[in-house]
Amino acid sequence: MGVTIRDLSFSIDGTRILSEVSASVDTGTVTGLLGPNGAGKSTLLRLLAGIEKADAGEVALDDVAIGSLPRREVARRVALLEQNTSPSVDLSAAEVVLLGRIPHRTRLLGSFGGDDDRQVATDALAAVGASDITDRLWHTLSGGQQQRVQIARALAQRPSLLLLDEPTNHLDVSAQLSLLGQVRGLGLTAIMALHDLNLAAAYCDRILLLHGGRLVAAGSPREVLRPDIIADVYGVDCFIMDHPRGGHPVIVFSAMDTTALPTDPERGTP
Amino acid sequence: MTGRGYAIWFGAAVLALLLACAVAVTIGPAEVSLTHVVGSFAQRLGLSFGEAVPPLIDSIVWQLRLPRVLTAAFVGAGLALSGAVMQSVTRNPLADPYLLGLSSGASLGAVCVVILGVSFALPAAAFLGALLALFATLSIARVGGTITPARAVLSGLAIAQLAAAGTSFIIFWAAKGDSYREILNWLLGSVAGSTWQSVIISGTALLVVGIGIVLSATRLDAFAFGDTSAASLGINVNATRWALLGSVALLTGAMVAVSGSIGFVGLILPHVVRGLSGPGHRRLLPLVIVCGALFLVIADTLARTVFDPRELPVGIITAFIGVPVFILLIKRKRSAVWG
Amino acid sequence: MSSRARILLVGLGASAALLLSGCAAAAPPAPTPTIPPVLNASYPVTVDNCGTSLTVTSAPERVVTIKSSATEMLLALGLADRIVGSAFLDGPLPSNLADTGANLNVMSDFLPGQEAILGLAPDFIYGGWESNFSADGVGERAALADLSIGSYVSPAACKGDAMPDPLTFDTVFSEITEAGDIFGVVPEADALVTSLTDDLAALEPVTTDKRTALWYSSGTDTPYVGAGIGSPDMIMQAAGLTNIFHDVHDTWTPVGWESIIEANPDVIVLVDATWNTAADKIANLESSAATQGLDAVVNKRYIILPFASTEAGIRNVEAAASTIDQLAGLSK
Repeated sequence: MGVTIRDLSFSIDGTRILSEVSASVDTGTVTGLLGPNGAGKSTLLRLLAGIEKADAGEVALDDVAIGSLPRREVARRVALLEQNTSPSVDLSAAEVVLLGRIPHRTRLLGSFGGDDDRQVATDALAAVGASDITDRLWHTLSGGQQQRVQIARALAQRPSLLLLDEPTNHLDVSAQLSLLGQVRGLGLTAIMALHDLNLAAAYCDRILLLHGGRLVAAGSPREVLRPDIIADVYGVDCFIMDHPRGGHPVIVFSAMDTTALPTDPERGTP
Repeated sequence: MTGRGYAIWFGAAVLALLLACAVAVTIGPAEVSLTHVVGSFAQRLGLSFGEAVPPLIDSIVWQLRLPRVLTAAFVGAGLALSGAVMQSVTRNPLADPYLLGLSSGASLGAVCVVILGVSFALPAAAFLGALLALFATLSIARVGGTITPARAVLSGLAIAQLAAAGTSFIIFWAAKGDSYREILNWLLGSVAGSTWQSVIISGTALLVVGIGIVLSATRLDAFAFGDTSAASLGINVNATRWALLGSVALLTGAMVAVSGSIGFVGLILPHVVRGLSGPGHRRLLPLVIVCGALFLVIADTLARTVFDPRELPVGIITAFIGVPVFILLIKRKRSAVWG
Repeated sequence: MSSRARILLVGLGASAALLLSGCAAAAPPAPTPTIPPVLNASYPVTVDNCGTSLTVTSAPERVVTIKSSATEMLLALGLADRIVGSAFLDGPLPSNLADTGANLNVMSDFLPGQEAILGLAPDFIYGGWESNFSADGVGERAALADLSIGSYVSPAACKGDAMPDPLTFDTVFSEITEAGDIFGVVPEADALVTSLTDDLAALEPVTTDKRTALWYSSGTDTPYVGAGIGSPDMIMQAAGLTNIFHDVHDTWTPVGWESIIEANPDVIVLVDATWNTAADKIANLESSAATQGLDAVVNKRYIILPFASTEAGIRNVEAAASTIDQLAGLSK
């Protein structure tokens, strides 16, 4: 599903969170949403999911304005995973994934959980490689397992657009890489808020960079992740090199240094 | 559990409830046999069954025991259902139907009419008191139109304390002689004064509000991971929460108006039933209704027979049963909720 | 404003408040009574009252009475001039005591607090219920003793081990005698006891068939009724009635309507109190579908007694007599 964002603005209690953000996301691509804390990443994702209403501007899913769709219809097309820890959930992994079928429940009695739904849930768990923990209780799972089950739940919604808010938080390195690899492998249109620039560089087709509620850069990782832009937004000094195997950019950081050495605008300070 | 297993449990619970009601009508200080009970029914249907039932026995069966048993069943069902919904909406396993100040408000209303000597208006006053307390709670909890569970709980505590203080003040100021006793009975909760009017009130509330709640069982499931998850699953979080809290208030208000604030039913039953049915609300809610009814019918029968001819307020029995069950649950159930 | 100024202002305000409350609380002193000479008394008098030992070294002269039973007792003994205050009365004085009690200083319809009592400078407090002597009531008995204020509870109302089991007219009469000893009015007490004993002996309890009775005090959902060992049962026995709850070992008890309906009493004795009138109780009985069918309700066989006469005290014989008269007046 292609997403078009036009002049989106949003405030809370008079504080401007997002200002005139415009972007477009192509079908089937994985887009990374980057920016320092407080840049507005989570808010943008919530607006894209239709959970919040923008003050101005518009979000369109495949050229259909999100505001014109009923909530349930949006839920059938867009799945949002917030970063959360829910220790007090008393469900099994299978039951958690089954929740994702709620948007598809029958109109009359609101029933879900029939055989069709169960099949979808099973498939979703398989897609994230979590079939072995189907009957385990949620609170007994590790952070990585919980994240995978959450993604399976999102998949059970059969969305065309997947929105993930910092999915790699609390995960160890192998879990992070595995998760992002799986997301890429799904082939869905996905927008992920990430804080790790290198992960974004490695796993995203496109990057949207937010700073103070404004979109300051959009493009391929190579185009967006440049030392001058990074210095401007994050306030850190860095050096870009190419990954020996993947070819994608690798960012090497150092703190901002006042004693200036001659810098190469393309490559940064050695 | 499988769908089949659930159906069996549900059927068993319904049978147990019917049996308990039948037995409860035959139990009591007065000697009433099953033939008397059936005869009483038969008379009203215009049929005859065995010998004529003595009018006073008929009076006992039809005017005292039957309304009382039915009221106990409806009230137990309503309180258990309200408790289950409250626990889910506030995501708090210790929530009960009275959390939003409902029972304190109802008590205040009830005490006012008892002191003023217009006891016949008690159900109406209690109901009104409950609604006013709810309104006050939600008004305080409301910020910019959204109510978070935590805020609702805290506001409810504040309003409950205020109403309780008001109740105490009125008792202190105006209660003479035996009014204390009547008020205490009401505060502890009792179905002793149940009439057919109580049956109608509690039954109607259960039917009308209960059906609405059971139909939104799926929506309650969506709240498992919090508001944003529910919203992303297509639920209108705010509207759903308002509607559910309002329904609980109506249901609980009606029950409290009829029987005072009977404790522990709304708190304990959802946990017990959840252990059987699992957390999915489409299975939990119908079963908790039946089990709540069964629990209170049994508790009330005990309340009026254990110290024959004296009667205990049923709220004492529910506490005596409820607390050990609670402790048992905490000890045995090692789950996310209990830790 | 500066913090120092603020403190000063608060201090001034607090002092002003204290002064004002002090002025308001100072009660006007009670008029000094003319005390009748104390004759025919021997002091000190020691009694065991509800498990507390009480020693009176001289006749109390400034007495506070709580509840009608205590008040009427002292009035009947001719001690009106020694009563500096009364409170928590249960109803109007009976006609034969209305004159003596005309100038009674009724402090409150409810239980007063300790300070209000102390403002009257009493030397003795006579309470009708043991609970009157609580910390948030007139004060605990030990604390009052420290202030040299004697305290006495009507023995019929003692709780715990000292509770009369069952209450008899002898108990009631011995309270009168004891009061005579304490207050130094032995002849008056003896005369009262003799008079009441004669009246009691002159009673002709009913002997007709229909003699089972319910003593209905209060309560709509759960009626509060007279049980086996208190003043209700005592009065009913003196009148010749059989209490349907005579076997319950308590003074009063809450019961279910079912037991009452099953027993189907011939007569219902209704206690008439301002906070719970006999008329209300009759209305309840007649409007409830469950109790409408009772013989006593259908035939309106009601006995009505004023509350104050039913608490253990000097009016119990009168209550029994009234019961007998009312029974005779019932047609069927």
